[in-house]
Amino acid sequence: MRNYSQFWWKGLLAIAAYGLLLVSLPAQGEDAGNLYNTPYDIGAGERYFERQCSRCHGFDAKGDDEIGAPDLTGRLARASSNVGIYNIIREGIPGTAMLAVGANLPEAQVWQLVAYIDSLSTDPANIDLPGSASAGNSLFTGKGDCDSCHMVNGQGGRQGPDLSRVGERRDPEQLLSDLLTPHQEVAPRWWTMRVTSSDGTHREGLRMNEDSFGLRIMDADAKLWAFSKSQIQSLERVEESTMPSYSQTLNDSEIDDLVAYLFSLRKEN
Amino acid sequence: MKRFTIMLLALGASIPALAQEEPFQTVITPAFSPVTWERLVNAADEPENWLMYSGTLDSQRYSKLDAINISNVSELEMKWSYQIPVIDRAETVPMVVDGIMFITEAPSNLVAVDAQTGQVYWRYDRDLPEDIRICCGRNNRGVAILGETLFMSTLDAHLVAIDARTGNVLWDKEVADYKAGYSKTAAPLIVKDKVVTGIAGGEFGIRGFIDAYDAVTGERVWRTYAIPAAGEVGNDSWAGESWKTGGAATWITGSYDPDLNLIYWGTGNPGPDWNGDVRMGDNLYSDSALALNGDTGELAWHFQFTPHDVHDYDSIQVPILADIQYQGSNRKVMMWANRNAFYYTIDRETGKFLQGQPYASQTWAQGLDVNGRPIRVPGMEPSYEGVLVSPPIVGGTNWYSPGYSQQTGLFYVTAFDGEQEFFKRDEDYEKGERFTGGGGRYNQPMDAFHSSIRAINPATAEIEWEFPIMPRSSAGISTTAGGLVFTGSADGYFFALNAATGEELWHISLGARVHAAPMTFSVAGKQYVTIASGNVVYTFGLRD
Repeated sequence: MRNYSQFWWKGLLAIAAYGLLLVSLPAQGEDAGNLYNTPYDIGAGERYFERQCSRCHGFDAKGDDEIGAPDLTGRLARASSNVGIYNIIREGIPGTAMLAVGANLPEAQVWQLVAYIDSLSTDPANIDLPGSASAGNSLFTGKGDCDSCHMVNGQGGRQGPDLSRVGERRDPEQLLSDLLTPHQEVAPRWWTMRVTSSDGTHREGLRMNEDSFGLRIMDADAKLWAFSKSQIQSLERVEESTMPSYSQTLNDSEIDDLVAYLFSLRKEN
Repeated sequence: MKRFTIMLLALGASIPALAQEEPFQTVITPAFSPVTWERLVNAADEPENWLMYSGTLDSQRYSKLDAINISNVSELEMKWSYQIPVIDRAETVPMVVDGIMFITEAPSNLVAVDAQTGQVYWRYDRDLPEDIRICCGRNNRGVAILGETLFMSTLDAHLVAIDARTGNVLWDKEVADYKAGYSKTAAPLIVKDKVVTGIAGGEFGIRGFIDAYDAVTGERVWRTYAIPAAGEVGNDSWAGESWKTGGAATWITGSYDPDLNLIYWGTGNPGPDWNGDVRMGDNLYSDSALALNGDTGELAWHFQFTPHDVHDYDSIQVPILADIQYQGSNRKVMMWANRNAFYYTIDRETGKFLQGQPYASQTWAQGLDVNGRPIRVPGMEPSYEGVLVSPPIVGGTNWYSPGYSQQTGLFYVTAFDGEQEFFKRDEDYEKGERFTGGGGRYNQPMDAFHSSIRAINPATAEIEWEFPIMPRSSAGISTTAGGLVFTGSADGYFFALNAATGEELWHISLGARVHAAPMTFSVAGKQYVTIASGNVVYTFGLRD
């Protein structure tokens, strides 16, 4: 049905970039823009990433909590620009396992890697969505009733993820999937736990956190409960979302509007 | 100067009195004494000390101390903590000799502290080159001691001898070229008058080996390659020239049997890890247990767990040696829960396979044949598109130490039931560059998987009990004569289980992942248990 992939422009940019490439090269992390950002460069960067970076950051660049390697597919905690990414690759991050790449690695290869990492997040300026964000905003608080569970900038419910900056971590296709098939990819934080304590009390709520010896949940009244596993008689874990699918309640154009609104939710500059 | 003279005079005057009367009241730990080879052979008989990485040469990690036991372990409290200054994960197992504790730190540093207080005697901070090649973090797991000298591996692939009383460097030997991807992270093992040590770098197309160095001079006495050279037996298990870059790193500490004079050591994955096309054949002796002559390093026998591995199932586990009742007779065995998710009991005199079956989730093999060789499930090799296989790259278990209790006769392992998509890529070898040929990707959140501490009967390979914890723990295990199993978890707990039943007896949240194995010791008659969590080393004892 819908396809929000509109990256044809990158091909044009690539041709332009090759022309520029002959004229000047960005040097030592100055903000001259990355000239190595053609599809070829991104592919070369991906191959380098798979070989050199994936051991810690994962083959899908989604990071590894065990090692402490961050997810590189969305907003980056330590870099807000290509130059920032470049500097981290060149210099590493002192006091962490992120080591600098070899000093003899050619500039072009570092910039190709920057281009690949940059390609993992979606620049909203490059996407033209069919829906209307302002109409989506109205649906969010009106017919869709999304704000009964989700907060945006401090307004809304607590039974779903805060969406104030969701456009930075989910691209339009993912947002569409979230609306139509919410059970497909549910973070463990949003699973439901049904607990029976040793005294026979039942509690049900969202899985705020679970560890080897304890469990914390939030019930439908947003009350927080902590359990010691040794005092739990039975424990049921529902690895599904509590969110309904909107495939029946909103029409195609309303869904487009909602996607446009959600994708527009970013940090105010 | 004048004041210094006066102090000396005062000290001199007090010495004769001390020797005859009460012990010096301000001395809170006993004096350090040299650790002879005989002491190392009999390390189990001085349980107040933890004299090597795995406690004893048989690597059981079983302590005869029982002051902390099933009935009082719930009263444990923290006695001291030591903060490691360089931020990284601590995989160290401290060593304790006569009240002095030696702790290795990231990246390749060492500190000696008072084992009763955690207060520092001395530090050794190593200068490392900036272009070291390491696959998986800046780790060091521990030291070895002989006499008054400590032996430590460094990330730039050196072996260093350090004076245990001062931290002074006695000798510093390059084991291999770090620029070619070699590094060292494991504690060495003392065998008689030699320092036996392995090498890391299996993701860089190295050729693995086990070395022995003269403890006094630092001269290399022997080297046994984990991959046979051209013309040697087993070289034909590698296609073409692939043996030259075949990996088989030896990056964890082995064990030793003084009666058989055999060193037991595990070997890592063949390289490139996930693309076996360029190295057709069984790839001997990758993913194997090697038994080497204790004097010459000559290979006595080998047992290959995973022939032609394409999933990075390193056989880098600490071999546990014990004599057990097996089918009606006493048998010298080696116990091994492998990264490939199978548990094995092997006759350690001959290398003969006795028992084996999965102890964790696995989909890559239908089972083991009578010789212990896996019967593969077709279509489980990594592909360009990705193939879902269990266990994942990190394995059913990994490098973190298992344990064995002489009281229960059970083997304990930290097990993970996970799965991952495996990908294959084409890569050419370049010196000093990664040479892995692919990688892996989880397609479920980690919390969807399961981890447990599992107790296995080595005579039957059956699981006797399990204690579930959150995935994925990388903590090792220790056992004691107090009927206890100590271990940690990924969510930062340190805890004690009943070794016979798996019942939880005590836990404490330390707030950071446990990447290390616990150890126990005593000073002045009081037993302590030590564990590293996050960047801190904690020591616990009973309430005074």
